Amino acid sequence: MLDFAIYSITIIAVWSVLALSLNIQFGMTGLVNFGQILPFALGSYAAGISASLGYPWWIGALAGLIAAPLIALLVIMPAQRLAQDYWALITLGAAEIFRLTVLNAPALTGGADGLVVPRFIDPTLAMSVALAVLAVTFLLAQRISSSPYGRMLRVLREDEILASTLGRSPIRYQASVSVIAWMMAAAAGVTYAHITGYVAPSSFTVTETFIIWTAVILGGPGRNIGVIFGAAIIQLLGVSSRFVAQWIDLPPDLIANLRLASFGLVLVLMFLYRPQGLIPEAKQVHDAERN
Amino acid sequence: MKMTGLPLAFCSVLAVLGLQGPARAADPIQIGVIANLTGQDVKTSVQMSRGVELAADDINAAGGIDGRPIKLIVEDSEYRAQEALNAATKLYNVDKVEAAIMFGGSSLMIPVAELARDKGKILINTSSSSPKLGNYPGTLFSILPLDDILSKELGNLIADSGAKTAAVVVPNNAFGLGVAEAAAAAFEAKGGKIVENIAYTEGQPDYRADVQALVKAKPDAIITAGYGDDSRTVLRNVRELGINATWFAAYPSILEVDNKEWMNGRLLGVDNGGYSQGVGKAVQDKYAAKFGDKDILAHVYYGYDAMMVLAEAMKKGGTDAAAIAKAMPEVVKTFDGASGKIVWDDRGQRIDPPIDVLTYKDGKFETTATRN
Repeated sequence: MLDFAIYSITIIAVWSVLALSLNIQFGMTGLVNFGQILPFALGSYAAGISASLGYPWWIGALAGLIAAPLIALLVIMPAQRLAQDYWALITLGAAEIFRLTVLNAPALTGGADGLVVPRFIDPTLAMSVALAVLAVTFLLAQRISSSPYGRMLRVLREDEILASTLGRSPIRYQASVSVIAWMMAAAAGVTYAHITGYVAPSSFTVTETFIIWTAVILGGPGRNIGVIFGAAIIQLLGVSSRFVAQWIDLPPDLIANLRLASFGLVLVLMFLYRPQGLIPEAKQVHDAERN
Repeated sequence: MKMTGLPLAFCSVLAVLGLQGPARAADPIQIGVIANLTGQDVKTSVQMSRGVELAADDINAAGGIDGRPIKLIVEDSEYRAQEALNAATKLYNVDKVEAAIMFGGSSLMIPVAELARDKGKILINTSSSSPKLGNYPGTLFSILPLDDILSKELGNLIADSGAKTAAVVVPNNAFGLGVAEAAAAAFEAKGGKIVENIAYTEGQPDYRADVQALVKAKPDAIITAGYGDDSRTVLRNVRELGINATWFAAYPSILEVDNKEWMNGRLLGVDNGGYSQGVGKAVQDKYAAKFGDKDILAHVYYGYDAMMVLAEAMKKGGTDAAAIAKAMPEVVKTFDGASGKIVWDDRGQRIDPPIDVLTYKDGKFETTATRN
């Protein structure tokens, strides 16, 4: 039981980092990124490829943290002259292109068979690393949120033209926040690869992106602690419903479908009665004269 | 300093849900089953799970294992690697199962095998045929033969049919590519020529762009492997293009046929066989009686045999994982199950299974030959 609890906390920590990375893009800046699984996959594959070539783990981690911001800049390059709505399409497409590329490059990525990555044998170590990555990410996200930079991101979210009239370049802010967010997600990806011991294209689909989105929307976009709460609820619903299902004496396939249906029902009810999220973003009032 | 405060608090919640005491002599022996009961390829997976259930019923009816009944704990993998790991971690850590029987592709089977190896547990594979599964000797045992054995027979069948050229149309995954590689090699070894290779990405609503190349290639035969709605769409798209070639499939019974009249006599294949006799026939009858379903896929037999081999190993060696791992290769030597005799190589991977040659006629597959 203790091992399972440790494992669940580890997974919650990884998905919380992903939720935070999307939150500073969408929750704070208003960037609709439907491909947030891409930097996560970049980090995971950097760890996997590095391991398959016989390099130590830190080379893979470094490669992931370098590749993610570079690819972020490449992906958002075509978005510079487009409205924010197009970010969704561009990022969604980029994530799928990456998944299909790794699927079709078996010599480097293992193709559909994927790559085996050295696992953390000690579950406590895995949890400690995941929590450490979460702590760093959370502190960074909090720092951004409370800084003048974060306030400008929120101005961008509310009105891009207003931000421009203040002499700020929206694309610079959007690019910089994307770079930070993608590095966070890449760090989560590296950690995840060493937790699961395996990377394959099937782990980085659109479904995974929407799990991150659900966590952010459920927890409260714009609120860092809220999205961590959202990620925890999503993962705990999945885990706890397995135990509840075990009590019910019904055919396993029916239970499995009921389990997913109940999961969906909880989310629908949440969105109906608490659309602002469980821990909504607090309204910030700044007195310009005092500041 | 060990970070145990947080997990302990977390445990107190989960313990309410899954607390267990120490095992007693008459306590059930818990066996894990991991199957994608939701997500893709559900029908095959559910049938595998039911096959395990039938075997557990038979074992319990015969007095269990040293008087202890089998209790199955079935977990859904959703056909996602992380959910498969969640399921396996729960089974191995919380339910304390020593062995789990699993359905899923290599992208699910390999991470669970990694976990099982690290924890010193047993994993029995009933569905994945990637050669990488041979990397877990003593941990992972396969009831399903690896792709290259059955696919080699598929290539020989195509050459024997008189076809001179063939095209490959398979899903771009470990299963599809494994079948394609071995079948094409066997076909070419007998003088055939592969004129087109198509590996499609699963989950598309339409595959005309992928299969369009067949119009120009004009193959005598099409080598395929697939399952579910994807296979139905591929078959329909190729028919709509007016391509008249004969289809040769690995495990044809898991294909979803699009148009029964069109495919009548046009779809052949090879599958692990011997199901229509002896134990296989008895399992068919039990399955139909219990689940009211006569449309039985091969994975019912794999699930049944997985549970039976595991039970035999537990009877012979004991119920802990190390004893099971030691006894498994011994018990299969005399085992004759629903999927025939099982021969394992030294890695616990199945070789030399009986193989049926199947032809699709009047809406169902007929066994036209069995190669033992």
